[in-house]
Amino acid sequence: MTVSDQAVELRLPALAITQSPGRVLYQFAVDGKLLDDFATVSRIRRDDESAVQGYQRPESLQHITAIRKYIESDAPMIPNGIVIAFDDRVRFEPSVKSDTYSVPGEIVIPVDVSEAPELRPGWIVDGQQRTAAIRDANVSQFPIPVTAFITANEEEQREQFILVNSTKPLPRSLIYELIPGTTGMLPPSLARRKISAELLDLLNWDSESPFHWRIQTPTNPEGVIKDNSILRMLDNSIIEGYLYNFRDPVDGTGDLEAMATVVNDYWTAVSLVFPGDWNSTPRKSRLVHGAGIVAMGFLMDAMCDRLRDENRLNVDGFLAEVSLIADSCAWSSGEWELASGTKRKWNDFQNTSKDIQILANHVLAAYRNSRRTR
Amino acid sequence: MRFFFPDSQDQVDPMFDFVTEEHPVHRIRQRDDRYAHEVLQHRPFDGLLISKSIVDGHGARTSARYTAGARNRLYRERARRFFRLDEVHRDVLIMGDCGAFTYFNEEEPPYSVAEVLDFYEYCGLDWGVAPDHIVFGFVRDGDPIPDEMISEWERRLDITLNNARLFLDEVSRRNCDIVPIGVAHGWSADSYAQSVSDLQDLGYVKIAMGGMVPLRSNDIVSSLEASSGVRKPETELHLLGITRVDEMRRFAQHGVTSFDSTSPFRQAFKDDTDNYYTLDSTYVAIKVPQVDGNASLKRQIKAGKVDQRAAILAERSCLEGLRAYDAGELPVEQALQRVLDYEDLVGVKKTREAEYLRTLSARPWKDCGCGICEEAGIEVIMFRGSERNKRRGFHNLAVFRDRISRNGFHSLQTTGEHT
Ligand SMILES: [Zn+2]
Repeated sequence: MTVSDQAVELRLPALAITQSPGRVLYQFAVDGKLLDDFATVSRIRRDDESAVQGYQRPESLQHITAIRKYIESDAPMIPNGIVIAFDDRVRFEPSVKSDTYSVPGEIVIPVDVSEAPELRPGWIVDGQQRTAAIRDANVSQFPIPVTAFITANEEEQREQFILVNSTKPLPRSLIYELIPGTTGMLPPSLARRKISAELLDLLNWDSESPFHWRIQTPTNPEGVIKDNSILRMLDNSIIEGYLYNFRDPVDGTGDLEAMATVVNDYWTAVSLVFPGDWNSTPRKSRLVHGAGIVAMGFLMDAMCDRLRDENRLNVDGFLAEVSLIADSCAWSSGEWELASGTKRKWNDFQNTSKDIQILANHVLAAYRNSRRTR
Repeated sequence: MRFFFPDSQDQVDPMFDFVTEEHPVHRIRQRDDRYAHEVLQHRPFDGLLISKSIVDGHGARTSARYTAGARNRLYRERARRFFRLDEVHRDVLIMGDCGAFTYFNEEEPPYSVAEVLDFYEYCGLDWGVAPDHIVFGFVRDGDPIPDEMISEWERRLDITLNNARLFLDEVSRRNCDIVPIGVAHGWSADSYAQSVSDLQDLGYVKIAMGGMVPLRSNDIVSSLEASSGVRKPETELHLLGITRVDEMRRFAQHGVTSFDSTSPFRQAFKDDTDNYYTLDSTYVAIKVPQVDGNASLKRQIKAGKVDQRAAILAERSCLEGLRAYDAGELPVEQALQRVLDYEDLVGVKKTREAEYLRTLSARPWKDCGCGICEEAGIEVIMFRGSERNKRRGFHNLAVFRDRISRNGFHSLQTTGEHT
């Protein structure tokens, strides 16, 4: 279709589905590159009297980029369609007579690209980012399923818009649990975390791991250690610590087995040095609480560097090192005697980055000092 | 004359794609990124300056630029390895201070002498500055002395001197091989000289001159002159935060052997006009804000006053125009026009048409061999996002280094990089 002053009609094979009395949906496929010609997301704005004429949300460029790259990948598939509210200039012409709920035919959309966008017959109720991504993608076409309804009533359009856009996003934990089983492209923010999510999975399922069934996830609600604490601990090491060495900087994958071995060896040593604190719950022991897990993760990295140089990177090596700080810890009773001279009750550490850093500094300093005096 | 560059964890991602504006998906900051000394043809500094306040932060003000993970790794690996100065750049000196400018408002320095020395030891530094407290104010000979300020100034000098004493004790008690540096502060030429004399009496042979950033060059020189009256021949002075290359000869005559400054780097994206250095001049960088990153533009789009689509198209046309100009495929006027169209849409207070024309016509990046400009081309002159701005900052550091050597200071260590 080219730009023209002449209004043309776009005819597309469609299915009319009567969902409830008087409520008809139309389903069809259209090249996503054409969506802009007859539908708009910005129709709704303030008019000359400053009254709100609907609703507008700016595109999230980051999100669009992620979808665009996916569309440009080898074999993209976007099963969820765009939802469009049409005004009554759009009509449906059935090709057969039928009294069932589903009737084949054609949807007829008037197209006049010389008109201002806000005068176009369609309003994209859901799929703004996908539409923008298809428009920007370096592909010649990308057919996309559309579900549409026709109404002259703007309130009805808004109602659908609000319904569609007020659904709750998936909980993060569920997403992380789903990642390891996902192949193909993930949005960048999730792709970066794939490796720690996979590692977490491995720790939880491995019967030899001290974490076996102890990490709480949506499918393992009995676990006591929060998945998020483990992810933070693993991420820290992958980014700044020893696990970085097992990462492929090109594709971001990693040698999971090697990573899991180090993590298991270290935490096995921790569980042996602090058996009671380890086999407890976050409420009764700060060791299995987010603060303890993350702080002790930093200690893991400190020990790895040294043990590798000394060729003792195994459970025995870790055991000797972790034992050095045993007397400086008060995971489930008593007080922490911090270097600044202050004291803190055993459970006076919350899951905040400040508290975690204080605790991490404490165990790291204890480790450093014990090495110095030994 | 040694030039120290204060670290603020500024790096560039060598894999950054200027066209798609993307980093590799799996990029890890700092570890995958590159420092100035890793991307420039010649290392632009003799030393690095690391401030405790930047690494650790303090109090309610979180001046820390380090994540907890990065900080822990710095302590674990120590500065030389962390900054990747352990193989080809081993001759770089690493100096630490407290970052007194971040706490000048506070009653007292937020760190104890022991904490500061801990920090220097964790980082494995070569030189360490005793914790100081800045005196803000300078009285010239013959000017009236503001009596109400004197007691506060004296109090700060006392704190600084007392810390300097404790610091020396602690260094010798711990038997560290760090070179201690005392900080001289003052509110006049004579009080600076007094500080230098006091520090020498304590045993310091390296003395940093602090609080001089807001001073005029003549005031700095007069203070150095006064200090020369008491300075022992072996005493070496360091100027904290001072850039003025043109004055370096005068400074050097008074015992200054080193200085530090971020300003060549920061001017790239903080200064109004002097963003891109050449040996003899400076140029304004071309502002091409990101539709997604410019706060005022974002507000206007949210309010429906600017059409997001139109903004994106204008931004693209501007970028493409500049690149086409660089490739010799578009006349300068047309490239400039696209910049001005975008400027219009973003809504600037004052157009930079004339300055932009000067920058574009001169194409200074074309003749630069710093190591950045050859790679980045015209992208280096765009005022836009940290990847471009920091590259321009690194370029400025390279030019700054050349300006220093042109001023006759050839002691800049330039060997060793490629051995
Ligand atoms: Zn350059």
